[in-house]
Amino acid sequence: MAQIPPQTLHRDPQLFYWILIPITIVMVLTGVLRHYASVLMATTPKKADIKAIREQRALAHGAALRTNYHVLSRKSFETRRDFLIEGFESGAYLKAPNQKGQPPANPMTDPNAMEGMMGMMKNNMAMIIPNTLIMSWINAFFSGYVIMKLPFPITIKFKSMLQAGVQTKDMDPRWMSSISWYFLCIFGLQFVYVFLLGSDNAASQIAQQMQAQQMPVGPMAPGQDPSKMFKAEAENLAVIEHYSVLDGIEERLLERIKV
Amino acid sequence: MSEQELQINPIVQDSVIHNTKTLTNLHSLTASLFGVSAGILGLESYYGFLYYIALSITTSLLFYVFKLAPGSLAEGRSVLDTGRYYKGALELWTSPIFNGLPGFILTWTLFYGLVRA
Repeated sequence: MAQIPPQTLHRDPQLFYWILIPITIVMVLTGVLRHYASVLMATTPKKADIKAIREQRALAHGAALRTNYHVLSRKSFETRRDFLIEGFESGAYLKAPNQKGQPPANPMTDPNAMEGMMGMMKNNMAMIIPNTLIMSWINAFFSGYVIMKLPFPITIKFKSMLQAGVQTKDMDPRWMSSISWYFLCIFGLQFVYVFLLGSDNAASQIAQQMQAQQMPVGPMAPGQDPSKMFKAEAENLAVIEHYSVLDGIEERLLERIKV
Repeated sequence: MSEQELQINPIVQDSVIHNTKTLTNLHSLTASLFGVSAGILGLESYYGFLYYIALSITTSLLFYVFKLAPGSLAEGRSVLDTGRYYKGALELWTSPIFNGLPGFILTWTLFYGLVRA
């Protein structure tokens, strides 16, 4: 079978200077800008009311006792448990004891909940706006140029993605247009940001999306009745069967130093 | 590991994150340099990927030899046991390969394009 000669294409070297380098520089700078924008827009946590803090901390205290009971001796665990259960059940830590049992307020009207949503909105905006701007910039100025050849073969399915705006039917899908260089930059520029901004940067949108998915839900999800949460926590504490890590320590120690 | 064993020898989450991050940063920086070299050498298709995988594993090996081995051998662990710093062996040997891959492809394509085309 005759070997198909590889397609060659003569391109103006000026394409590199006027397409490749500008796109790369803009992508890097956008990442840097996004990092500093997220640093500047980070809101300092608002000073909360002392009663609200007490409510949150009491719940956190219960959860901490529930997860770390094994480091306490039986007696001190029981003292702490009884104290917390009593407080939880009598509602001593509630922010507004006389609102007990009322339906929770609508989260849309609660200013604290609105604050959290605004933060999320800001993050999303910082991601969406630069993307749309750059996409339309590339589409307006650089669409239809073939600038590079991928070093590895790919299937014909990628042709419509990599060669968007290039109307040549028989061209090898390895040739890529300026828009696909943009996509490569989105995924591959993480190392540049690590190099420029350190490892804790907020520049890469891929990393940010991953973080957003793993974001833990806070102990006080808005719209939940705190008195019910206290009741549940008291129940959780009451059913713990206590043991200590020091149980049987003598045997373990002797086993370890046995000759 | 049973729950009680975990409580006797607790794992601190911050340290786990720090260890993983150190390794990931090293790999994403070196992967881009591997991409530069692969592009200048003009490697294509499989050879490029094999070159990357081989060099990436070599990086992990060097990382083990210089950073992990002193502490982990002193603790009485066997050779190539990474349990002191990482949860599983795969965390050191294979997962960084996938972290660095996009950066590798980017610089590979760039330098291949600059040199060959």
